[in-house]
Amino acid sequence: MALLEVKDLHVEFPTRRGVLKALQGINFTVKRGERLGIVGESGAGKSLAAFAIINLLSKPGRIAGGEILFEGKDLTSLSHKDMRSIRGNRIAMIFQDPMMTLNPVLTIGTQMIETLKAHRKMSDEEAKLIAIDRLTEVRIPSAEARLKSYPHELSGGMRQRVVIAIALLAEPALIIADEPTTALDVTIQAEIMSLMLDLCKTRNVGLILITHDLAVVSQVTQKILVMYAGHVVEQGKTADVIPAPHHPYTSGLISALPQQNHQGKRLYQIPGSMPTLNALPPGCPFAPRCGFADDPCSEKLPDLLTVKHRRVRCFKAETLSAQGSLS
Amino acid sequence: MTKETATALVEVKEIHKVFDLGSHFLQKHKPKVRAINDVSFSIYEGDSFCLVGESGCGKSTLARTVMGLLEPTAGEIHYRGQRIDHLKHKQRRPYHRSMSMIFQNPYASLNPRRTIQKTLEEPLRFHFPDLSTQEIKEKVEEVMVSVGNDPSWGKRYPHEFSGGQRQRLSIARALMVDPDFIVADEPISALDVSIQAQVLNVMMDAQEKRNLTYLFITHDLSVVEHFGSTVGVMYLGSLCELAQTKTLFAKPRHPYTQILLSAIPKLSCEEMQHSKLTGEVPSAMSLPSGCVFHNRCPYANHRCETEIPLLRSLEDGRAVSCHGVEEGRIDA
Repeated sequence: MALLEVKDLHVEFPTRRGVLKALQGINFTVKRGERLGIVGESGAGKSLAAFAIINLLSKPGRIAGGEILFEGKDLTSLSHKDMRSIRGNRIAMIFQDPMMTLNPVLTIGTQMIETLKAHRKMSDEEAKLIAIDRLTEVRIPSAEARLKSYPHELSGGMRQRVVIAIALLAEPALIIADEPTTALDVTIQAEIMSLMLDLCKTRNVGLILITHDLAVVSQVTQKILVMYAGHVVEQGKTADVIPAPHHPYTSGLISALPQQNHQGKRLYQIPGSMPTLNALPPGCPFAPRCGFADDPCSEKLPDLLTVKHRRVRCFKAETLSAQGSLS
Repeated sequence: MTKETATALVEVKEIHKVFDLGSHFLQKHKPKVRAINDVSFSIYEGDSFCLVGESGCGKSTLARTVMGLLEPTAGEIHYRGQRIDHLKHKQRRPYHRSMSMIFQNPYASLNPRRTIQKTLEEPLRFHFPDLSTQEIKEKVEEVMVSVGNDPSWGKRYPHEFSGGQRQRLSIARALMVDPDFIVADEPISALDVSIQAQVLNVMMDAQEKRNLTYLFITHDLSVVEHFGSTVGVMYLGSLCELAQTKTLFAKPRHPYTQILLSAIPKLSCEEMQHSKLTGEVPSAMSLPSGCVFHNRCPYANHRCETEIPLLRSLEDGRAVSCHGVEEGRIDA
């Protein structure tokens, strides 16, 4: 059985000028120990999907349909109290800015012990031992001394390690990481990502990695979900999608990366920008920016079809891949 | 360098920058941050000189010092052969006409209460007071079109634009005075991948059309490889390697450059490897003795702990500051 199963998830924001459909029918599963990457430009709905899973959508956002099955329970129908026992306990979250997650006026130790005691009954001494154990696991040197440090005394990379250690306190089955390394340097990014990769393997934890960095996704995850304007446009195994994208948007994102052997040449750029949710075009949301779009594309939304071991939301995926126009 | 015959547009000579931190009056020694230590390099005309390094290595401080926004503690900056770092504001003005700057955050660098037209006109009105309103209007239009913006946007305010559009407006503002030299401090770090490509393209087009020279500050090495012609790698206020982009990426020699290049995530579907870097960047308030990199360097020996390495030229045109490379202990 899958650890997490998201079925036909819809999220919407009612506004005075009508309902904005921010997520339209997202489906995916994460098994124990499996790593899924969600990619897309800002505003595509990546983070929203994560917040919907842990039931932390900011008002007036609401889940308008679909099911989120976690360990067999439907999270959408749980009470606030039941949800709290899952959030931070069975599902942990790691955010982009560690300073936002950590309390600046409490020591690392206080925050870790507090978290532990909130979920389980134990003495301060027991909690402290577990905290030291976790800090060592995320490779923080002299862990015991670090318990007395305040967040501002640590570097960005160390803070993010502390956040990961806190996420691991309650032995979660699923970790959702929202742009965990975007604010960090490349060398530290490599350390944090390889650390998370190891933790997922040794602890058999599922990971949802939300990022706009396709290179990181390609090196960390097994499955990938490409989002555009609230829709999934391509989804499949990372090893299938990255080397041979079948949706023009995925292909555009990959071509826009500066790559070797093209030094000094113009980079490919996807023309225009993503439509806002109150002005979504009829038909395929990517059609106005797509070089291959024609009449049917701008009239009807394509279904998510299976093409070559992956799901693609494009009428032309099969023809385009046969012609080799997307590689 | 290979361009010895060409004249250097900008020369940075033995620049030091020390920031004094406020201290308690009973403290004997004021704490000091040594942000830049003895950095020298030349930027030739038509070059895209990239400075890379981790946060806190002093690359932005160096960029600001070159622009004259900060005063160097020691050392000289020359522009077209003239020393400019010691000039007074008024004397610097002619140089500011040919040097512009683009900042990282397009949300903070455009005045929210001014229309785009006003923002773009200002540098022209300041540096060329003789221009007529009509001439200014034509210039604004010309520059707006050249960065791929609609000239009719002039009446609008910055908040009406997306990040990419704003960064193109910042580039337009930098181009208004027809500069020869542009300092760009992390101009694409705040943008999405597809928008990064747009902004880089605009910058490369402008360079081709206007024969610009760039000093490009970034921490994104894949962008450097694409955009830069010369790269300087900085670590803790010192330059550790200086080379042509192709030479550097083909064969990094300084241990820090090697580690930095190995950490770039690649679109490869191969699992991410552990970084070879141990420990943390030391604080610039208490620099390590000898080579600033020695306490994290896998090849460090006693000499590295005591003697500061100098930037030495190698036969392939690059310069490396490393005892190990000089002694032949570290092969490529």
